[in-house]
Amino acid sequence: MAAQWDTSRYLGLFVSEATEHLDALGKELVRLEGGVTPEAIDSLFRHSHSVKGMAGSMGYEATTALAHSLEDLLDRVRTDPARLDRAVADVVLQAVDALGGHVKAANAGKPFPDSAALIAQLKELTHSIRPGTEPQPSASTPANAPLVESEGPREPELPPRWLVTLRVASTSAQPGVRGFLAYKRLSSLGNLFRCTPGIDEVKAGKLPNGTFTVELESSEPEAVVSKTVSQVADVALVSLSRVASAPPVPSAEEPKPAEPEPRVVGQEPPRTVRVRTELLDEFLDLAGELMLATAGVREVGRTLEETDRGRLNETVDRLHGLVRGLHDKVMKARMTPVSVITDRLPRAARDIARRRGREIELVLSGSEVELDRAIVDELADPVLHLLRNAIDHGVEPPEERRMRGKPPRGTVKLSVKRASDRVLLEVEDDGRGMDVERLKALAVERGLLTAEAARELPEREALLLSTAPGLTTATSVTDISGRGVGMDAVKRAVEAVGGTLEITSRRGLGTTFRLSLPLTVAMVNLLLVGLGDDVYGLPIAKVAGVVETTRASLAHSRDVPVLQFGSAVVPARELSQVLEVPGRPHDVDAVSPFVVVDTDDGRVALAVDALLGQEEVVLKALRRPLDQVPGLAGVTVLGSGRAVFILDVARLERPVRAAAAGET
Amino acid sequence: MSKRVLVVDDSVFMRDIIKDIFAAGGFSVVGEAGNGVEAVEKYKELKPDLVTMDLVMPYRNGIDATREILRGDARALVVMCSALGQETMVMEAIEAGAVDFIVKPPRAEDVLAVVKKVLGES
Repeated sequence: MAAQWDTSRYLGLFVSEATEHLDALGKELVRLEGGVTPEAIDSLFRHSHSVKGMAGSMGYEATTALAHSLEDLLDRVRTDPARLDRAVADVVLQAVDALGGHVKAANAGKPFPDSAALIAQLKELTHSIRPGTEPQPSASTPANAPLVESEGPREPELPPRWLVTLRVASTSAQPGVRGFLAYKRLSSLGNLFRCTPGIDEVKAGKLPNGTFTVELESSEPEAVVSKTVSQVADVALVSLSRVASAPPVPSAEEPKPAEPEPRVVGQEPPRTVRVRTELLDEFLDLAGELMLATAGVREVGRTLEETDRGRLNETVDRLHGLVRGLHDKVMKARMTPVSVITDRLPRAARDIARRRGREIELVLSGSEVELDRAIVDELADPVLHLLRNAIDHGVEPPEERRMRGKPPRGTVKLSVKRASDRVLLEVEDDGRGMDVERLKALAVERGLLTAEAARELPEREALLLSTAPGLTTATSVTDISGRGVGMDAVKRAVEAVGGTLEITSRRGLGTTFRLSLPLTVAMVNLLLVGLGDDVYGLPIAKVAGVVETTRASLAHSRDVPVLQFGSAVVPARELSQVLEVPGRPHDVDAVSPFVVVDTDDGRVALAVDALLGQEEVVLKALRRPLDQVPGLAGVTVLGSGRAVFILDVARLERPVRAAAAGET
Repeated sequence: MSKRVLVVDDSVFMRDIIKDIFAAGGFSVVGEAGNGVEAVEKYKELKPDLVTMDLVMPYRNGIDATREILRGDARALVVMCSALGQETMVMEAIEAGAVDFIVKPPRAEDVLAVVKKVLGES
């Protein structure tokens, strides 16, 4: 059906809504493999039906046809839920994927993929499922019995009887329903008799020349009868005439029992409104700017006379409180449940496991925990990657598991927990675990570590070697092959949102990847440090402590200056050298602050010129070309209007380590 | 005064299309609902001249919602929105008291023709 309006306006909405339906369909289907209920199949049906309707409205005939075949199959399954077996589920999933392909193609303005074979398969499957217990038409109604009871009180005297002939337009999309609607309308005027052809034929749209006749017993005037018919679209009154003799009014008919009260099923849904995610980003940006502007006003206040400052500060305090409140609300609106990511995983897990010949059970928990949308978005790929890794490289094939005395079906647990202001996301498998010695050997082989460093490397850090770019791509290392593929990307993504990655693994027992994530990305607590005339921010979360000492008092370990920090010794570096910026000349006997930070492979003390305080700031992402500069995580503007670069402490390690290694 | 319409559909996409059709046809869409429960509430609150009601919706389907609306207001005019293949359900809705139906994908001329007939404007 050709669309008569400009459908491009609706494309965005079509893509997002159709995608949601398809995601939900896939997800619910996989969940169904545990046990099928008619309600659940209804829901599947609803999703495919919605997609069909939308595609039809957009004028996407190929998509409509595919969705229609899928809907037919689901409709058939609805009558016999037991038929939803694996084979059917597989084809349904294929159709869901194919529809997803159509939606993507529509979005990209590309031609739709050919789905003829799939449609044929869906149809064949639909036909192979015999309809279940369809409602059987009851025994034929006696000609004199009213087919539909009049709803009004029965007239005491016999009303006149009309022979009504109606024609349903041949262009009508659903002639049966149109005919039935006219029939029903007439029944509101009185009692109906002798429908020719029978009402079931009318409903089925089996109308010779599009016409049917019915006898109406009604005391309404002729004009009302014809007006009633005229109010039904696509139905025309062919003729209306009085019937001479009226048969006796049926009297023995039992009145129909009253319809049971429809029950409201389920709870009242929360009221929601859709907001473009970009709008949420803009809100946050504006709220952030407001906070900065407020800080700016406070800064101006500092230049005022003491006497004038009081009232201004009071107002600024109030303004700050309000802006902070606004900011919190915006942050809250951005909170998205992790289920946005995890809902797709059962489906993905099933596909991966099948392709790799594994049997796995995916156990999800805590998917309702909420995180900032930006973090959730960033995590989608990494989490999928961790899952793929767990199945592909963690969980052994069933035979191997049996040999090891494990149940043939492996378990992958994905749990999400809120822990104070962090969210912990863990992917745990009960597979073969990682071989730490193998990883170390490989790292040495690739020149990432010296043999000595490898020996001393604690297990926790050695396991993280699996995230070193390209470390384990070698196919010869079969038992850990692939672990490194993309793991560096996972680590980078987690750190980009302010999270950390930790791995624990036990040979033969399994591996756990633990992501510790901030609830929000936007606010970060900084330790401000001065270096020359510049100010840098170090995320407090990465700062282990500060030691004030002189450079002269530093000890040396293999020519690398080291600082005593608690019971440990950490390498000490000039921040200016790490950042390759000019630093102030310093007196080795002058006391300088050393900020001890946690980098990815250990602690490092960074010498700075001054500590300038602590500030909670709104982080702004760096734009090109600054985002290419290693060591910078973002930028912010202080109340004074001064721009401050925030250091990417986790990634500072590389220059530090490399330099340290060079000095050895 | 333009006639006031309540548009019920679980799809925002579909609601937008229907709303645009009504707007172009000189009707005023006074409310929308995304499921049957909301539809019943919105009807009570807004008392529109006409409701377009999707059949297949979560929480409460269009047929139940139609029944409930008519129980509260016997003169309510509910037009079902259905797709090809849903004839049985549409007939059930008509049994429940729906006055007419439009077929998705909705074509502006069809929708307006049906609605005008129902409202006695043609």
